[in-house]
Amino acid sequence: MFSSSMLKSISKPGRYAGGEFGQIIKDPAAVDARVAFCFPDAYEIGMSNLGMRILYGVLNREENISCERVFAPWIDMEDKMREKKVLLCSHETGTPVKDFDFLAITVQYEMCYTNVLNVLELSGIPLRAENRDDSFPIVIGGGPCSYNPEPIADFFDLFDIGEGEEMLPEIVRLYAEMKKKGCTKHEFLLEAARTIEGVYVPGFYDVTYNGDGTVRAYTPKYEGVPAKVRKRIVKDLDTMYFPDKVVMPYIECVQDRIMLEVFRGCIRGCRFCQAGMIYRPVREKAPETLLKQAKCLYENTGYEEISLTSLSISDYTKLRELTDGLIEWTDEKKVSLSLPSLRIDSFSRELMEKVASVRSSSITFAPEAGTQRLRDVINNNVTEEDLMRSAGIAFSAGKEQVKLYFMDGLPTETNEDLEGIAHLAEETVEEFYRTPGHSRRAPTVTISVSCFVPKPFTPFQWEPQATMKELIEKNNYIGSCIKSRKVRYTHHDAKVSHIEAILALGDRKLSAALELARSEGFRFDAWDEFFDYDKWMAVFAEAGIDTAFYANRRKADDEILPWDVIDCGVTKEFLLRERNKAYAEKTTPSCREKCSGCGAACLGGKDICCPSAGNKGEDR
Amino acid sequence: MTDKIEYPMLPEPRTVRLRFKKTGALQYISHLDLQRSFIRILARAELPLWFTQGFNPHPKLVFALPLAIGTESVCELADIRIERDMPCDEILKRLGTASSGGLEFTDCYVPSAKFAEITGTEYTITLELGEDDAKAFSEKAFETLTSSPIVIRKRTKSGEKEVDISGMISRLRIDRKRGNVTINAVLSAGEGNTLNPENLLDALRAATGLPDAETEYSCMRLKMLCKDGAEFR
Repeated sequence: MFSSSMLKSISKPGRYAGGEFGQIIKDPAAVDARVAFCFPDAYEIGMSNLGMRILYGVLNREENISCERVFAPWIDMEDKMREKKVLLCSHETGTPVKDFDFLAITVQYEMCYTNVLNVLELSGIPLRAENRDDSFPIVIGGGPCSYNPEPIADFFDLFDIGEGEEMLPEIVRLYAEMKKKGCTKHEFLLEAARTIEGVYVPGFYDVTYNGDGTVRAYTPKYEGVPAKVRKRIVKDLDTMYFPDKVVMPYIECVQDRIMLEVFRGCIRGCRFCQAGMIYRPVREKAPETLLKQAKCLYENTGYEEISLTSLSISDYTKLRELTDGLIEWTDEKKVSLSLPSLRIDSFSRELMEKVASVRSSSITFAPEAGTQRLRDVINNNVTEEDLMRSAGIAFSAGKEQVKLYFMDGLPTETNEDLEGIAHLAEETVEEFYRTPGHSRRAPTVTISVSCFVPKPFTPFQWEPQATMKELIEKNNYIGSCIKSRKVRYTHHDAKVSHIEAILALGDRKLSAALELARSEGFRFDAWDEFFDYDKWMAVFAEAGIDTAFYANRRKADDEILPWDVIDCGVTKEFLLRERNKAYAEKTTPSCREKCSGCGAACLGGKDICCPSAGNKGEDR
Repeated sequence: MTDKIEYPMLPEPRTVRLRFKKTGALQYISHLDLQRSFIRILARAELPLWFTQGFNPHPKLVFALPLAIGTESVCELADIRIERDMPCDEILKRLGTASSGGLEFTDCYVPSAKFAEITGTEYTITLELGEDDAKAFSEKAFETLTSSPIVIRKRTKSGEKEVDISGMISRLRIDRKRGNVTINAVLSAGEGNTLNPENLLDALRAATGLPDAETEYSCMRLKMLCKDGAEFR
């Protein structure tokens, strides 16, 4: 536990103080297994994560298991801890992390990898799994980055591939049983890898490489360890555990609202989007379930806003029923609704009025690319007409600020596509003046451009990222195309995107670079103020890593990819088919219109939005 | 909530005063964060809150005096406004189930006095100094805090400035028990004239070098006082 003199001498001590309403404290002596659940970033980021809320509840629901929270200490606290030799502790009971049975780390983005290592270091836990004897906690990884865990594989004992609601308790239960029998860590890991679907133990595979550095093979070292680890999904979202009681942070967090998860997956299949592929198949919750859960969450939290969180919320088949049902009581309680992920082609006046975020004068759309040709390539399936119609609705309702999201550096992109970004923004300004009843204030159209990062398990996983030089040129070129003074232009730092690509597409050889980065004091790389591109490139150079090999190389169609050891349901054949359709500038209909045989149907699931549900996927 | 009694509407919204303790982990929560959290506690308690009638309706919530981070309190006060005739003991009961350990509601009543009548706050500050430092410190502390002027640098809205705080300290008592020194004092409070325990500690730091970064100490607000010295209610 941190002393009061430490807490009094740092910024935002509320990050470490605990004591929140809803936290669950169990007597360590009364449980069979203790899990420290870590979000490796600042408290106010971690406490905003829905996955952590769910898994905290799902583990603590088990009588003989306790789960406590851990976050990355901010740098001022880290300095104090190192100075006073204080180890990282859990929030609930102030127990040192290294005294837990498990350290479960949710890995949400590549730029937190150095924080993951720092958390291990600050906990007094050796970084590499092979250097940890049975006295240390078993380190589990999960979250989106576990779909290509290879760059950080050496630091983890086990990864949860897929949704953790069922898998994580199964793992901990198995451990509790085996611990009673006096089994070793190795015996437990082997049993887990053999019997629990979704468990990936990186240490149980021999990895060999070809002369050119590409992967030659992943070979299980033990019988019964799966050659390919299939991801887990929860089949029925209506009966799935959901966290009705939430730990209520006192300090302001990024997401200070009810997050009502409406469905999982996405019917769209944008070809750059990893989430749209790895969370397949689409599974919906029934509106009755959601209405009950929303009411219950409001009573237990008192939050003044409900956010309907799913990948593309307007694709929910019962959206009207849900929003109507919510509005029946939210208006009276002065609770507002927010729909953070509206698609341009489904935006309507009615929907906008329901979400009536009166306070906000701005609205965001994501055309993603500047021309119809490139939008077809990425399969985003919206048109300029859709955008103008949606912007017009917003303008006629009195809004004067529109934000547009784009990417640059997309496959097949030319200058014409970049010019198209400027064109769309300027057309949106024109649309403002064309709209009868527009606000009397001048419009602002903000375009926010991020750099394309190829991600595993997407049709673009074989694509090279544009080089740094190209990305910077592209960013500048867009700026030079904008003539209207009513258009504001911001773009992401290409340097961050480049490092992200290296880490996202990496293999186990990167662990040496990450270890080196950690020893050089890297942490909080997701925060602009701590990210240092030149230092990263120096670390890669020193570790002998050819960054272009990972980020800027076009991979052969038949190349064995580092993440091929994972089976996320969607098949490689499907991804390749989609990649080829992208080159041909052909779109693919949404799952609701027509099944394109992605393969995810083989995972099953109730109420899935998939015409081939119940059958095997076309490709299997 | 199990009971669904409909309390009758009041002809006029009613102001209700809540007394609460803010101790333990809660001492590290800032005034602003407490305000935000309070709104949610009130909502969880399902109190029949009255909302302002404007463009952006919000419940009425006024705190007596902000409490600095790192200071605990057993005597905090906040006023809320309700639109239905819910009895005070019911309000207290509901708040009890809607809040956590470090935030404990101890009383609820219809107030007769205004927060502006508060002129002082009684604090106790305990420093764990160890036998060696305690004696010298307590003597020096008494000397420092009873001298005049006591000039400290104080942060105000218009930047840092030097202030003489000697007139803002009264009823000073310093006790020493083994290695612990306890400073008990009434510090002036009210608009533009508020002295916090940290200000007092700044004066002591300047004079004695203690408390330093290693010193464990705690500050507790005990009472809010009226001009006549009686406890404000």
